[in-house]
Amino acid sequence: MSGSSGFVWDWAFTIKMLPLLIKGAGMTVLIAACAISLGTCIGLVIALIKVVRNPILNYLGGLYTWVFRGIPLLVQLFIIYYALPGATGINLDPFPAAVLGIGMCGGAYIGEIIRAGIQSIDKGQMEAALSLGMSYSQAMRRIIIPQTYRRLIPPMGNEFITLLKDTSLVSVITMVELLRTAQIYASSHFKPFEMYITAGLIYLLLTTFFTVTFGKLENKLAQSE
Amino acid sequence: MIKVIDVCKSFGNLQVLKNVNLTVAPGEVVVIIGPSGSGKSTLLRCMNYLEKIDSGKIYIDGQLIGKKEVNGKLVEAPAKEVYKMRENIGMVFQRFNLFPHMTVLNNLMEAPVLVRRMDKGAARKLALDLLKKVGLEEKANAYPAHLSGGQQQRVAIARALAMEPKIMLFDEPTSALDPELVGEVLSVMKELAREGMTMVVVTHEMGFAREVADRVVFMDEGRILEEGTPQQIFTNPQHPRTREFLAKIL
Repeated sequence: MSGSSGFVWDWAFTIKMLPLLIKGAGMTVLIAACAISLGTCIGLVIALIKVVRNPILNYLGGLYTWVFRGIPLLVQLFIIYYALPGATGINLDPFPAAVLGIGMCGGAYIGEIIRAGIQSIDKGQMEAALSLGMSYSQAMRRIIIPQTYRRLIPPMGNEFITLLKDTSLVSVITMVELLRTAQIYASSHFKPFEMYITAGLIYLLLTTFFTVTFGKLENKLAQSE
Repeated sequence: MIKVIDVCKSFGNLQVLKNVNLTVAPGEVVVIIGPSGSGKSTLLRCMNYLEKIDSGKIYIDGQLIGKKEVNGKLVEAPAKEVYKMRENIGMVFQRFNLFPHMTVLNNLMEAPVLVRRMDKGAARKLALDLLKKVGLEEKANAYPAHLSGGQQQRVAIARALAMEPKIMLFDEPTSALDPELVGEVLSVMKELAREGMTMVVVTHEMGFAREVADRVVFMDEGRILEEGTPQQIFTNPQHPRTREFLAKIL
């Protein structure tokens, strides 16, 4: 069936494997959701410690970005899953290792996105808030950060899509998610074409969800201004 | 009400305030004039400590601002105390700086509710009264982007008044406005002056200075060169720099 001239897509096999791929996609979504949440929390903290007037915190924020943005995610995953247990005795299961790896790396990027968003707000806004007696943190929470939402949506949408796709890397630390599922059945049944194309389409479907959601969100926030 | 004593301030190598002394009595309206870069806006911004000062003292209502005396030495006051002091000092900016993500009403209610823990109903009533005062009650639910510059600045004045300050600082409040919108802002300021508000106004509106100021202060290159009644300053300026400046703009 798979001669060089006579390739025929094996629909029966594809349909039979679809539930397994969808189950793998479920794990992909779970990892992505956890990693995105973690990355957003980390990113917010990193952004804030980079904008406050405190050189030590600024430095630590910069250090974090430097390390976690500068080392390839794949290497970070290897370190967390394979190197840490031997060196420190910290032995993580594949799932928390995956979430931690992607989340910490994503946090470095999201931190930069949020920092840029905060710094793009006219500095007169902070001055006006302070002149009314607000504290720095009240001004941040009520005046500055809410104004960044609309500006953050396009780059955050991008980043969420990247993180979702990055989950495909965790197959190397034995996580069975969408790509790993496809890989297993592609090799056991010699159907790489069906399995990888289908997996690719499922990824496309998932990232499309983000594209559409963020597009709607942007429109909605645009209306209130 | 305001006492500025020997204040110096530099940005890097540039000294923008050189031993400035100024006293403002309760209810007094002081207008600061001078060429751009003379340090007048910086002086104003030091009064509510948006700018730190390098040396000297500023007293607002008998209280040292931004600094604290510990064992006879002057040290930076904790941020919390600076926030507290700013509640009594309203400020109006050249670029209005309204909060664009909030309605006009919420712009006015935000600080009283958040900072003074005012009850929302009371804050709303106060806000509506103030909007009425500046003639914009019908704009309560509009967003700042939908207002003209003059309307935005009137809202900004009302927003500052919502904190019931003892002093109002105006940093070139009409400089960003189209000429035909200047009058409406100035008339709100005149009304405030008539009510006895203590005001310090940095402006290029000499008509306003002449008509409303109790005292006019002329600044140049970081120093107060001359001060006096509008009459003295505009008709009989003593310092050659004052004469030169007034000759250029009048």
